[in-house]
Amino acid sequence: MYKKKLLMQDKALKEKWQTRFSKIYGDREFKMATSSGIPVKPFYTASDINDIDYEDVGVPGEYPYTRGIYPVHYQFQPWMNEQIHGYGLPEQTRERMDALSEQGMEGYFGGSVHNIVSDLASNAGYDPDDPRAEAWVGQGGVAIYTVEDMERLIHDLPLDKTNFVWNIQDTSMAMLALYIVAAERMGFPKERLRGNTMNSLYRRWCWDCIGFPPESAFKLMVELIAYCTREMPQWNTTNISGYCMIEAGGSPVHETAFVMATSIALTDKCIQAGLNPDDFLPRFGFHIAQGNDFLENIAKLRAIRRMWAKINKNRFNCSNPKAMQARIFVQTAGSSLTAQQPLNNIVRAAFQTLGAILGGANAVQTDAYDEALSIPTEEAAVLALRTQQIVRHETNVPNVSDPLAGSYYLEWLTNRIESDASNLIQKIDDMGGYIKCWNNGWLSGELRKSAYEWREKVNSGVEAVVGVNKYVTGEKQKVPVFSVDESIGKTSVERIIRYRNQRDSAKTKSALANLRQAAIKIDQGTGGEGYLMPALIDAFRAKATLGEAMEVIKAVFGFSCEQ
Amino acid sequence: MADTGRKKRILLAKSQIDAHDRGVRYIARKLLEAGEEVIFIRYGVPDEIVHAALQEDVDVIGISFSTGTPLAVVPKVMSLLKEQGIKDKVVIVGGIVPDDIVPKLREYGVAGIFGPGSAPADIIDTIERAVSKKPSA
Repeated sequence: MYKKKLLMQDKALKEKWQTRFSKIYGDREFKMATSSGIPVKPFYTASDINDIDYEDVGVPGEYPYTRGIYPVHYQFQPWMNEQIHGYGLPEQTRERMDALSEQGMEGYFGGSVHNIVSDLASNAGYDPDDPRAEAWVGQGGVAIYTVEDMERLIHDLPLDKTNFVWNIQDTSMAMLALYIVAAERMGFPKERLRGNTMNSLYRRWCWDCIGFPPESAFKLMVELIAYCTREMPQWNTTNISGYCMIEAGGSPVHETAFVMATSIALTDKCIQAGLNPDDFLPRFGFHIAQGNDFLENIAKLRAIRRMWAKINKNRFNCSNPKAMQARIFVQTAGSSLTAQQPLNNIVRAAFQTLGAILGGANAVQTDAYDEALSIPTEEAAVLALRTQQIVRHETNVPNVSDPLAGSYYLEWLTNRIESDASNLIQKIDDMGGYIKCWNNGWLSGELRKSAYEWREKVNSGVEAVVGVNKYVTGEKQKVPVFSVDESIGKTSVERIIRYRNQRDSAKTKSALANLRQAAIKIDQGTGGEGYLMPALIDAFRAKATLGEAMEVIKAVFGFSCEQ
Repeated sequence: MADTGRKKRILLAKSQIDAHDRGVRYIARKLLEAGEEVIFIRYGVPDEIVHAALQEDVDVIGISFSTGTPLAVVPKVMSLLKEQGIKDKVVIVGGIVPDDIVPKLREYGVAGIFGPGSAPADIIDTIERAVSKKPSA
């Protein structure tokens, strides 16, 4: 990248530096490393990035999009304030939605955005009166089980101007179907809906919680992608979540490699089902964590954009530029929050939010400081939003795209993350591919090993966590803690029983039987035929509940804690 | 530490739908390293915890939560143990446990409550002490 003369100057200057260093510090060693364990030098110069092809850095909006996917970005279109929220009954979450919108939470181009997280019961596809759901109704998210519940959440909203993100995993398809039915009753046909399903049924290898086995998971993901690609042109189908990999203990290099490996595996399956990557890849996006290693996480966002562009171009022969432009939703890392001295989390989240913007995130969720203790209070949720608003309006950082580009260290690190992640992807390919590495536990093993090592380092004091193993005081910081009203379980159960009693049960039964037939067809094929979504939508029109519909799908595809 | 002579059998339980298992898996490994025997299960309903505890003949039941809902599970486990006349099992709870429910959990007979960042040595010590105080089966 540099001329010979400059490199010779660089060499001479580094020799001078070395002489001076040795005079002061002798042969003292540097042992610094990034959070992924990449060893770093005390400073970087031109020779460290000389091997980089200048076009790999390039300009914003041009392949390989290292510097962003738009020619101009925040200057004309700030990031979405995609604050994830949801708790209790739908009307309680609606109050929070309205409050956050009123406080300036914004989507693109004057529209609204709501990233709604579902409770643990509906996440697993249980109705609230299922004994397995009992402790989890309205916990960790909002309790939505019927079209009526959905209407309680979204009534009177301009759905064609609202970006709805349904933050639910294995039940992605069912939640989207509930949304489609509620929206059509409000006069918004599905073609006009914009937003995002997670469609992240692969996520369960990060843990060993209940879910679909790998082959079934892929068929169901492909099915949702096929349906939306055909029927919902504005809908973003799939969220490739590295965030869960970080939360489960992985490093930024793991995250980069494993989101790419996930995208590759899913793209392969979609192609096998007859879909064209130029059509469906533009509707993929990423959910990425912004952890404590400030510069490594910025470099990671740049590496993810570059890698995805190259993989989709070279491995899948894409020619549609949109199929190479990674849209990245960044969430400040929940796993970096501490229950001890919780106010410190305000500072952590602020650095991470700034990092996300320096890395060119398209949408950002700033975690509230109290999330290590509970669902955020409204006050904490608003403060998290304010953090983004301060970065947007007061720092001038959004004036210049990718302002850290050209930094010797950052460019070197972007390259290094790309190369380490590429090696891991190659390893997965060599071991027989993603599904095999899911099945044999290699992927989860990598995260667990990393989680264990990190905790050992914290417990032994090698890794500092302020307020946990450093600057610990005897006093407990008192902050308000939010709790979900215990009666909401009872209310949810009463509602769903009434819902079932007031329907034409023969009609529901027949719709569920059709759903079963559609599920069997998909299970026998590759997914992507487009049978399942219409059958689900019909079942919800016929007033089936979320749990009833999911029970049918689970019976066909399998659903357990076995990997 | 008390009563370190004998290996303890410890059941660690987490709901099938509560993904966040990083903490409980770390504790599982530390207990193994300390020479204890560990059985990890994912349960659907609280009865499965008690069933597994009996079948595996454990000394200790540890239940992990990532949301503030121990009161929807722990009292059930305690009353099922009581119903079956089982008095020799030590029950501990870990994860996100709101401060205001800690006294209630203690009333139900929970021997130890361990929030984020708890030292493994403290957990092991609590287990050893509590087991040594329990009547043998």
